[in-house]
Amino acid sequence: MKITHALRALVLATVSACSATGFSAAWAQDATFVISAREAGSPTYDPIKGTKLNVATLLIFDRMVVQDADQSFHGQLATSWESPADGMSWTFHLRKGVKFHDGEPFNAKTIEWWIPKFKGTENAFMTESIDKVVIVDDYTVKFLMKNPDPSMLLNMATSFMGIPSPKAYEALGDKFGVAGAVGSGPFKLESFTVGQQTKLVRNEDYRWASDLSKNRGPAKIKNLTMREINEDSTAFLELKTGGVDMLLSVPSDFLPKLQAEKSIKVVMLPGTELFYMPINTSVEPFTDIKVREAVALAVNQKEIMTSLFGGTGAVANNFLISSLQESKVNPKFNIGYNPTRAKKLLDEAGWVAGAGGARSKAGTPLTVKLWTQNGTQFKRVTEVIQAQLKAVGVNAEITVQDPASINAMYKKKTDHQLAVRSYDYTNADILDWFFSATRLGYPNVSMWNDPKAEELNAKAMKGSRTWNERVTNFKAYHEYVLSQFVFAPIYQPTQSFAYSQTRLKVPDTIRGMKMATQSIVDIEVK
Amino acid sequence: MFNFLVRRLLLLVPVFLSVSMVIFMIVHLVPGDPIDNLIQIGATPAQRAALVAKNGLDQPLLVQYGVWLRNLLSGDLGNAIIMRRPVASLIAENLPHSLRLGGLAFLFSTIVGIATGALAATFKDSWIDRAVTTLILLGSTVPSFWLGLLLILLFAVQLEWFPVSGARSWTGLVLPVATIGLHGVALVSRVTRAAMLDVSRKDFVLMLHAKGLSHWRIQLRHVLRHALLPVVTILSLRIGWIVGGAVTIEFVFARPGLGSLLITSLNQRDYPVVQGCLLMLSIAVMLGTLLGDVVQAAMDPRVREQLQ
Repeated sequence: MKITHALRALVLATVSACSATGFSAAWAQDATFVISAREAGSPTYDPIKGTKLNVATLLIFDRMVVQDADQSFHGQLATSWESPADGMSWTFHLRKGVKFHDGEPFNAKTIEWWIPKFKGTENAFMTESIDKVVIVDDYTVKFLMKNPDPSMLLNMATSFMGIPSPKAYEALGDKFGVAGAVGSGPFKLESFTVGQQTKLVRNEDYRWASDLSKNRGPAKIKNLTMREINEDSTAFLELKTGGVDMLLSVPSDFLPKLQAEKSIKVVMLPGTELFYMPINTSVEPFTDIKVREAVALAVNQKEIMTSLFGGTGAVANNFLISSLQESKVNPKFNIGYNPTRAKKLLDEAGWVAGAGGARSKAGTPLTVKLWTQNGTQFKRVTEVIQAQLKAVGVNAEITVQDPASINAMYKKKTDHQLAVRSYDYTNADILDWFFSATRLGYPNVSMWNDPKAEELNAKAMKGSRTWNERVTNFKAYHEYVLSQFVFAPIYQPTQSFAYSQTRLKVPDTIRGMKMATQSIVDIEVK
Repeated sequence: MFNFLVRRLLLLVPVFLSVSMVIFMIVHLVPGDPIDNLIQIGATPAQRAALVAKNGLDQPLLVQYGVWLRNLLSGDLGNAIIMRRPVASLIAENLPHSLRLGGLAFLFSTIVGIATGALAATFKDSWIDRAVTTLILLGSTVPSFWLGLLLILLFAVQLEWFPVSGARSWTGLVLPVATIGLHGVALVSRVTRAAMLDVSRKDFVLMLHAKGLSHWRIQLRHVLRHALLPVVTILSLRIGWIVGGAVTIEFVFARPGLGSLLITSLNQRDYPVVQGCLLMLSIAVMLGTLLGDVVQAAMDPRVREQLQ
């Protein structure tokens, strides 16, 4: 639920009139963070079966490898790894001396138990390319592959690959992640209330942080509470008054006010989210590629970034976030603002501009449906796009729905035409998710079913043996998707988090794709 | 009276069945699907279909309802699809928080509502009456989530008397109780004032004045006492809202409770949890109404006579 713009404005205006003095009820070495709204409501800390996990999962469980902001991989529970040129095996050398929170040792037997546990779960696809785990010695395991999987390290770095204590996992059964969660991470789970808060306590034995952390020993925060506050205004006011010490995500409309606070520091990180406008290629007038291209070229990405997001973030000219190698396509395929060409294409498609600029064809006005989900950012972006489409003669009618309803409506396949959406994901295989012909309606909102695209998709998804090959194949698929104008790219927001400078000392450089384990173990409470 | 109670309890059975069906159908007819919130990016259509079948969502709606109702009648509210635990335990975790918040708000609105209504009636057309009428107007018209944020800005941000949100201490209850309670204060105050003014015009009150009793004594011991019947009726109808009246307020104040649980599960389309929460709220309203009828019968001999 979101409050209205007016209410937000009231909160922001009133706060600016209030004193900047805050209080802190927290004890030394204790800290309270608010997790991002996107991660709120995570129901479990079971990384094997959970499909929605929050950042605390990364603090309770260690992974084999972790990823830095530059996408490079660093060992955590694995110290090194290798894979032959044919990609048919992966050998991991494991860290010695690691113990789970329950005192159980971590070794090759843990991995032998862990990988098969994914079978039959919602996360099975993460390990489905692994045929067998072979123990080479106590601290070396070899994965024998059914097929090459160049995404192996990427998968291993996700929160779903947090490794639980086998003993605790078997003992708790289905209650693991709810009644308790035992990993080897820098924090132990103390208590967990779904939708409210998770209390973590420092793992005093922790000595195995990755080389992305300066502090290789126990975390400097002793007790860490991760709160869930769904209402942005409330979360903002909590930080403002010292009720919490850090917001792990800040809505863009609160950024200016937070930046103006002396006691609060706002940190921007490269974004992992991308706004885009899928175009339903199966319905008129978008069966005509000229109309699709015209609509895509009518979107002024820079105007949206500057007018709605204060110039922060980056324009999007293709479907992938800029930090991915697969986003570096041949520039001729990138989609950018070009109203002159948009108008020319519409003319060529037979949609002629009338006296007021509105276009029509054989007496039928060029009026299209523009759907979006509720939420301030979505509504604002959609309204600007509506105006930009109008500037080239396209009349767009906006419909707003909650995310679950709108996804159900996409499944009807022919009701929608244009939509403003976003995704938050750091892997090029998102192209398969949103454009594969096996998922028409939703998530393939573009309803794109093209034999050549399917061929390129299959090659990218299953035909790559090495990482470089995978990048090449995904680039080719990405370029073809772009050439068909099945969506319009819009905007890449930055990730931003904010913290109390009077309470916390945060490293200058944030390691990893977001504020997570690698940097949280380095944070000090003043 | 006993027969009346038995009859009313029996009447609750068809009402309960109707309500359960309406809740089930509405929840399932709303566009959306819990499986979309359950599957991972990368999952295949076959994996999605398997999850749909695993959760029984591929069955016809009436069959699904039959299964749910059968389990319900044996005391099983089912398991949450997304939250993956028994719905009964989720409700048990959250209900006490809602009862605490709603109960205190009910108490606050009852005491302050009757007091301000009685004052306004006693000093009709004075500045006190006008102040109370203004309070009634504000309480009835200002949206509660708006009021909640205003109270946060004043008492938590500016004055720093209370925490902004959360349920970590008793002080965290003050602002949400005041937010919910003010709406109730307005209602109770309005009814009390109107009922007292109505009773004041009765002949027996004129006679009490003629006997020379003080104005205060007449108002408090006689007029208020007779005016309480409609107030009790209104209050009893609000008992059900003790459980369900704080849905948005729990959200704004980031507090645990049935309201927060309902919104979270609704956003994720976690059908069993939404159904469980709505059923609890409906039962609370049904029992509250029954209790109101019983209290009314106990207080008013005319009602008892009608029943007999």
